[in-house]
Amino acid sequence: MTINRRSVLKGMALSSIAGLTIGGPLRAMARPVSAAGQPVLVLTQEGAAGTVFLQGALTAVPQLQVQQAGVDVDFLLALERRLQTAESPRIIGLLDDASATLVVDIARSAGARIQWLGQHSAEARCSRHHLLTANIDDRWAQQLDQQLQEGGSPFTLQVERQDGSLVLRQLNTSEHLTGQATLWASSIGYLLASLGDAELGGAERAKVALPPATSIPITGNFVSFSIEA
Amino acid sequence: MSVQNNAVLPRGVSQDAFNQAVEKFRALLGEANVLAKADQLAPYNKIMMSVENAAHAPSAALTATTVEQVQGIVHICNEYKIPIWTVSTGRNFGYGSSAPVQRGQVILDLKKMNKILKVDPDMCYALVEPGVTYGQLYDYLAENNLPLMLSFSAPSSLAGPLGNTMDRGVGYTPYGEHFMMQCGMEVVLANGDVYRTGMGGVKGSNTWQIFKWGYGPTLDGMFTQANYGITTKMGFWLMPRPPVYKPFEVIFDNEDDIDEIVEMLRPLRISGTIPNSVVIANILWEAGSGNIRRSSYITEPGHTPDPILKKIQEDTGMGAWNLYAALYGTQEQVDVNWKIVTDAFKKLGKGRIVTQEEAGDTQPFKYRAELMAGIPNLQEFGLYNWRGGGGSMWFAPVSAARGSECKKQMEMAKRILHKHGLDYVGEFIVAPRDMHHVIDVLYDRTSAEETARADACFNELLDEFEKEGYAVYRVNTRFQERVAQSYGTVKRDLEHAIKKALDPNNILAPGRSGIDLDTYKKA
Repeated sequence: MTINRRSVLKGMALSSIAGLTIGGPLRAMARPVSAAGQPVLVLTQEGAAGTVFLQGALTAVPQLQVQQAGVDVDFLLALERRLQTAESPRIIGLLDDASATLVVDIARSAGARIQWLGQHSAEARCSRHHLLTANIDDRWAQQLDQQLQEGGSPFTLQVERQDGSLVLRQLNTSEHLTGQATLWASSIGYLLASLGDAELGGAERAKVALPPATSIPITGNFVSFSIEA
Repeated sequence: MSVQNNAVLPRGVSQDAFNQAVEKFRALLGEANVLAKADQLAPYNKIMMSVENAAHAPSAALTATTVEQVQGIVHICNEYKIPIWTVSTGRNFGYGSSAPVQRGQVILDLKKMNKILKVDPDMCYALVEPGVTYGQLYDYLAENNLPLMLSFSAPSSLAGPLGNTMDRGVGYTPYGEHFMMQCGMEVVLANGDVYRTGMGGVKGSNTWQIFKWGYGPTLDGMFTQANYGITTKMGFWLMPRPPVYKPFEVIFDNEDDIDEIVEMLRPLRISGTIPNSVVIANILWEAGSGNIRRSSYITEPGHTPDPILKKIQEDTGMGAWNLYAALYGTQEQVDVNWKIVTDAFKKLGKGRIVTQEEAGDTQPFKYRAELMAGIPNLQEFGLYNWRGGGGSMWFAPVSAARGSECKKQMEMAKRILHKHGLDYVGEFIVAPRDMHHVIDVLYDRTSAEETARADACFNELLDEFEKEGYAVYRVNTRFQERVAQSYGTVKRDLEHAIKKALDPNNILAPGRSGIDLDTYKKA
């Protein structure tokens, strides 16, 4: 299914995403194609996290393919076959642990590459993020750090490179509890959809990826990824 | 083609030597089968253990398609002293996944050696390569209308018989003790020789998958959970699909019932009245695999209190213990055994029996019934959402099939897990005389503090169980050296003597089950 941003927003209003309201128009400039000119497939699940992630992704790449993820064998085998074709899109997503465990392993068996693998834990007003980044510039993690800082909610961000080096960034504050605790999900959606964009990471671009406000917090545990055949 | 300065190198191997080895791997296997870039290796590095991914990061990954290529790989590894970690399908979730036991080891991924070499419907066996999955076999049996049944663990369709058997995994059918059903292996030794076990060495033999023992020493077992060779073929027996299959569940309301459940069950298992690997799952295993999340009941950190467990029972109808078993055979056989089973439960005076007709498509009954019938599904992955956060380590002590022993182990495990703020998510897999007491230590890897707690908890579980004479039958790669210590010095000395004889350069998975010529007795 190929959808555009308008249909997603329409879908949001009509679907069962209880409590999610769009606080205002996205201020990002939507670009017609991903930077690398490569199609992007978003794997998503029901719930606010997936929706906010998708909205962030649409901010970066307005033309996306979207597919519901699950833990059924047919879905996973179809995904594996897709990753083994030359026409495979880059696949990004924010899924629960069960689904993500399987998707990431399917990426391995399909011989795909993973540029970004994030483990996220979100409570009502704070979040924790553990990133394993591979072969991508540190500025992507810095970008997430910057956006989390701007969001104002307490967070910890641990970035692990494959060489074993570890970078810890955090914001511990009680002054910004009105900050948008959902920001991380849309920021990651935006960043993952943008991966490969040489321009992204600059200060100008950093300001445009703004999250939607939601009336319910995103809580729980999630895994984000970017997979390329 | 690029040879970079790798961020990760094998232990004791220089960058130059590594680069030379990689070039030889490329010449042997082709560019596409030698993965050395970070984003190619990242899929091999998602672990669920209580250490950073970096501790188990590979330096490269290779894929081979033939036995000759595997022989070529070990020759190169010997030349450059490259340690190699072999995976079949790599789906050993919670036991280390596909990551190597030691940082820097080169992964040999045999996923592309995925040929079903033979399925004999008369003698009821299969001969497969390492990359064959249960799902592939299931489809093969269905497409060829063969009345045979598979036995597999919960990752079912994605995992494979060779890898699971080599790790001595178990399934849920009457053929659930997989190593017992193995018959005939082909193993590439560290010197490149190709050894066939059992009858496999006899020229022209047609009994390699028929008769296990062959002549003289029977060596199959020493290649399991070991690093003495790379298994490239394995035969195993398949159960004929019975005309009648009757799965059932028995629900018990109280945690203390485990003692009586096991005492009642043991004679039924030893006599073969109940022929399959029965499961007794506790409430949290049941809830997790039934897609219930902890956050729906409690958001406070720490272990889930007993009143919450009772609330889940009340809300769902699940038991404190949930026993799943099945009967197989002709209608007459099943009828007779069903009467024996139901009479035994009536005599016990506890437990609500649920049949398939009563359960319908409800979970977790449906997936349990499928697993016991050799039908693959991935429902049990729901456990990873119970607490979330990506941490999962199986603690799997062996217990005698005595009620008092099982109760004692359950109470010990629960006490230690709760002390560390974690949940007891456990099940007993019931063999006639033993229990695989399998506990999923679930924790949030985004929290360094919780990860450290999980690590301490796992160590304490190993220590405290060892004091009582218990040990695990299998463990994730972080704790393999520690568990090897539980089994005593004489065993370890012998294992290292064999290692020295078969693999003097220590190239095959050093550290597997604590067998490592470079470190043993050198600390």
